[in-house]
Amino acid sequence: MEALRARGLTKAFRVKRKDQGLGGSLRSWLRPEWEEKIAVANIDLDVGRGETVAFLGPNGAGKSTTIKMLTGILHPSSGEATVVGFTPWRERAKLAYRIGTVFGQKSQLWYHLPPLDTFELIGRIYEMKRDDYAKRREDLIERFELGPYLRTPVRKLSLGERMRCEIAASLLHRPELLFLDEPTIGLDVVVKQRIRELIRERNRSEETTVFLTSHDAGDVEELCSRVLVIHHGGLLLDEPVERIKRDVLSRKTITITLAAEVSPEELPCVQGTENVAVAGRQVRLEVDLRRAGVEEVLSGFIGRFGIEDLTVEDPPMEEIIKHIYGER
Amino acid sequence: MSTGDSGGLRAIAAFLGTCWKINLASALEYRLSFALLAGMMFINNFIWLFFWNLFFSRFPIVQGWELRDVMLMWAIGAGGFGWVNLLFGNFTRIATIVSTGELDLYLAQPKPVLLHVLASRMSITAAGDFVFGLVIFAWVGERTLLGALAFALGLLLAGLLFLGVMLHVGCLAFFIGNSEGIAQQALGSFVSLSTYPSSIFKGAARAMLFSLIPAGFISYLPIGLLKHFDPWFVTAAIAATALIGGSGIALFRFGLKRYASGNLIAARS
Repeated sequence: MEALRARGLTKAFRVKRKDQGLGGSLRSWLRPEWEEKIAVANIDLDVGRGETVAFLGPNGAGKSTTIKMLTGILHPSSGEATVVGFTPWRERAKLAYRIGTVFGQKSQLWYHLPPLDTFELIGRIYEMKRDDYAKRREDLIERFELGPYLRTPVRKLSLGERMRCEIAASLLHRPELLFLDEPTIGLDVVVKQRIRELIRERNRSEETTVFLTSHDAGDVEELCSRVLVIHHGGLLLDEPVERIKRDVLSRKTITITLAAEVSPEELPCVQGTENVAVAGRQVRLEVDLRRAGVEEVLSGFIGRFGIEDLTVEDPPMEEIIKHIYGER
Repeated sequence: MSTGDSGGLRAIAAFLGTCWKINLASALEYRLSFALLAGMMFINNFIWLFFWNLFFSRFPIVQGWELRDVMLMWAIGAGGFGWVNLLFGNFTRIATIVSTGELDLYLAQPKPVLLHVLASRMSITAAGDFVFGLVIFAWVGERTLLGALAFALGLLLAGLLFLGVMLHVGCLAFFIGNSEGIAQQALGSFVSLSTYPSSIFKGAARAMLFSLIPAGFISYLPIGLLKHFDPWFVTAAIAATALIGGSGIALFRFGLKRYASGNLIAARS
């Protein structure tokens, strides 16, 4: 069963062309010049029910525009799409009952009120029966551990607390398909992890299809089974995450802050480590996980040097995408 | 499970009721600000009446208008603007909402977009306008059931006319991009024109007030509806309100097809 299908989806915007500076502005005001910008070019998508798909691409690649067309917010310039059986831009309201959306940069929570009030409004917007709404709300409050924040105005919540409330709010009406646009943007590692767990749990327990855009490789690695990469508006890659993991996410960057300064010659030589850089007490190196484990690398340091701090990072999404572009 | 196909008027009423409850709760978050803003607007309106009082003390009748008529014109204008701004407080912000991409949130939810947008904000100052209208009517209006009903009809028409006009102006943002400045200017001009006796305008200016800028349908209500009931004027005012409202809704729907969204970081307040 398909949750989402798009064929030849295209969106073009008319953009004013303007030269730099006041002169450019004046010329543009007197004789405006327009050009057509293709934000999304002829893309085909297929997402099965219950799948978790990452939709990646650099800034301006057309990710958000695609999501907006698939949720009925924008009308496409051409192409067709069905999302849980509806054409988004023609049957927007019917579709909205069946999908959930979380836009990391656009909050649906009322800024001056506690999340509980927004939940109440969302219950009404989706016409949930009162007893069902109360039961569902309690379930999400428990799962998302929202109890302590429910009566605090949203403006006083931390970004992580707010995002947990946002996702819970978008799940209240039990959407079949959840669109997440940068859900972990600006969050710390611990909160990101918790949010990923919660989304994964919803996917497993309710078979919610997840369509996610993110700049965080961790989101993709931990949540998704498939990766779609878009570039210059066109679909560049459609691969299982396993392959991306094997080929691209096989590298981690380790940063170690030692108790005392060390010279590069004193560092342990572990196979699989590359691009080692030493700056004062800080050592930064890349590990190829196909050749050495993180534990193996760290064991070379533990016991020989005092370690004050340690971070293990995925390669930045831009690097992953660059790698993919390089392959194509 | 949500009941996507049920809905209907009861569901819309429940949704609007919750929206207004939440708006009020949000406005009451800042107690002092709420009281000050509403109170200041009440006083501001009274100051205008004070100037009109000075004027009419020198010229007791102007083109058939007396001080009482002007007071009722202000009661209808402020009261109409007040209720619509209380219940549908985003009607002055449509251009901003469209041009900054804030419409995304409303489009992603199943309720009628325009209604949802309009009902998602309550203007605090509007409470002062609305109470001012009621106080003036209680002071100089015809305190009978018929008088109260006529005044209520006047408030309804005035409010809907403000809403309809601002809907048209706000929808410009779908077609010309940033029209926030135009919307603010149009609001200011329309409010001003609706608070001057329409009889002082003649010829083309008068024709304009009953067509392109339909402020005359508000400013003439104290005479054509309250003082000397004129069925032709009242019918024309109702028809104009329906036409402006209907065409505004059609324009908004048409505009949605051209909506280009945006990437501004936004929160609901």
